[in-house]
Amino acid sequence: MALPDILPFLVIALYFLGTALYALGSALRSERLKVAALCVAGAGFALHAGDLCMQLGQEGFSPTMARFLLSLMSLGILLIFLIVWLKLRLRFLAVVALPLALVFYAASSAAPGIKASLPPMLSGLFFLLHIGTLFSSMALLAMGFGASLAFLHLEKRIKTKSGLKTFQKDMPSLDTFDRVNHWVIVAGFPLYTFGLVSGFVWAWLAARRVFSFDPKEILSLVMLGLYAYLFHQRLAYGWRGRKPAVMVIAVFLLMAVSMLGINYLVPTTYHGFKP
Amino acid sequence: MDKHIFLVGLNHRTAGVDVREKFALTSVADFEKSLLAACPLREALALSTCNRVEILVVADASQRREVAIPEAVLGHWAATCGGPLDVLERHTYRHENLDAVSHLFRVAASLDSMVMGEPQILGQLKTSYRKAVETGTARVLINRLLHKSFSVAKRVRTETAIASSAVSISYAAVELAKKIFGELTGKSAMLVGAGEMAELAATHLLTSGIEKLFICNRTYARAQELAKTMKGEALFFEDMVERLKDVDIVISSTGSPTAIIRAKDIREVLKKRRNRAMFFIDIAVPRDIDPDVNALDNVYLYDIDDLKEVVEENMSARQGEAVKAQSIVEVEVEAFGTWMKSLALQPTITDLLGRADDVAGRELAKTLKRLGEVDEPTREALEVLVRSVSRKLLHEPICFLKRRTREEGTAERFIDMTRRIFNLDSDPVNQDAHLDRRISGEEGDGNGEQLDCECCRDDETGARD
Repeated sequence: MALPDILPFLVIALYFLGTALYALGSALRSERLKVAALCVAGAGFALHAGDLCMQLGQEGFSPTMARFLLSLMSLGILLIFLIVWLKLRLRFLAVVALPLALVFYAASSAAPGIKASLPPMLSGLFFLLHIGTLFSSMALLAMGFGASLAFLHLEKRIKTKSGLKTFQKDMPSLDTFDRVNHWVIVAGFPLYTFGLVSGFVWAWLAARRVFSFDPKEILSLVMLGLYAYLFHQRLAYGWRGRKPAVMVIAVFLLMAVSMLGINYLVPTTYHGFKP
Repeated sequence: MDKHIFLVGLNHRTAGVDVREKFALTSVADFEKSLLAACPLREALALSTCNRVEILVVADASQRREVAIPEAVLGHWAATCGGPLDVLERHTYRHENLDAVSHLFRVAASLDSMVMGEPQILGQLKTSYRKAVETGTARVLINRLLHKSFSVAKRVRTETAIASSAVSISYAAVELAKKIFGELTGKSAMLVGAGEMAELAATHLLTSGIEKLFICNRTYARAQELAKTMKGEALFFEDMVERLKDVDIVISSTGSPTAIIRAKDIREVLKKRRNRAMFFIDIAVPRDIDPDVNALDNVYLYDIDDLKEVVEENMSARQGEAVKAQSIVEVEVEAFGTWMKSLALQPTITDLLGRADDVAGRELAKTLKRLGEVDEPTREALEVLVRSVSRKLLHEPICFLKRRTREEGTAERFIDMTRRIFNLDSDPVNQDAHLDRRISGEEGDGNGEQLDCECCRDDETGARD
């Protein structure tokens, strides 16, 4: 087998190993295992990036292929994780980032020939805007999802005063989790809005029709509404802690449904990966 | 073993606070030096904290035969502090050799502390050791022993969970605060009522980086007084709720029979502070803070029982870890014993070979000077010749000493004789390093000189880590 053929398997194997090792390292509180896991995942990340570049150069490549898009999403999640890790010192989010990257990458490999049907007026710029902003905001949401789950867990333990002796010394504080939530909302909402608007503008340019009532668009608008509400409550009204955490989890779950569920299972105008 | 380690001391279990106060050595300058002058000892180290005094001394076997070392040390100690000797004797414990080593390791690893696992003791031990090194009362054995005890403490800390949990109420409160706020720098706290425990918790918070402290008391004068000592700001009791909006951590300990902080007040406060988290610590009985406060989002309330529970959970967890720690200590004590056994013979061999090389080198230099110019092969041949003659000559005596070391009891005598035959101890190597030893000016001066130097180097590397 040539390198391009085994590359996806290698990346999947490395991501899987990284995820498993990190989970094990967290369970056993072994710093070494965690570092090893991140190294393994790092190797996977490098190969993954190489794989994406190779896809770009392949004959018959089109940026609308499910394989390329999902792989890009997976890479985006890891990139955002890297930023959050370096910026906020929140390495534990690897617990969320690694398995998600694994799922999206595996999904991308499972769909080699599938292609979304695009409106005729294909514009590289719009495509980049649409995909880039949406994927970034989704990756941010994924991080927010992890931090929010951790927040709820820790908050419950502090509130109910139970199991305090098993506190991990290195576990971040409630405040840190809440800060992630803050950034996910502050940075993610504008990105998401921008992504949707670019999609609508694109649809208008291509088909003179802004809204075509397909399930994907409806769900996206619902998510935008929730996101906007969250944005407003957090910034203007001063929401903190539990409520935004619960909502970020909800928005993320909707996103996952829309990304993996609708694209594959429900017929839509432009977004389906249905063969 | 030709050296003996003794440890005498008292701690919070053997002596009450009045006795500990009386015999504390914290304000005594150069106790080790005066101890070396007063008793026939080779090395000395004293550790004195509010909970314990430990005096660690090393004596030669010969010195030991002359005087009862622990009694002499106790006598000097009592005289230094001006206290009655019989009281001191009643409250102290004595350990010898490996028991002493084991005790020291336990102290360093904080297994012997009042609050097991508390980290301060190691720092105090390091300070005492540094002092002893500076005054020159720590040498071969104490150097090795203390470095070992630091590494044992480190092992215990990293391999067991003994130091990982909070075991005092104020410490538990600070730990919880850190779980909620992350770093405490820039946060503010308020004391409501001025009890002793509240003060303690506040001190703990201040050392963890709290920036602003408000003190609020029914009697304003008392609040002012406390504000002065703790560098806080005194508030009128009536303004308390009003000012809560600027406060992240509240420690309450008033004698009020009813709750003074209510959930509906806090709901208003939270709106004003845009839901930034608040942590309430209620150490008053009956409670000062309405328990419903805990049901509010972003507000966390712990009362004295909750904190006690945290502490007790941690305590029981620590007991289990203590067993693990003890086994680490035992392994290390055994290793130290093995090292000590080899110590008796090793410095003698080193000295012996060193002396031989020294003589050979000097004679070689003289000969070369007399011969004038010689070619390289000749010079090398001469060098090999003198060295091998001197070494071969010592081969048999060294083998003999090694054989004697394996037999119990006889080695000491032969090593002593060897040192005298070769006059190994008359050589002053480092003039100023051993000034204090000249005072006791005995025949055994300079014993293990080379190892001393080695240990001085060890010490430098140790100080760097």
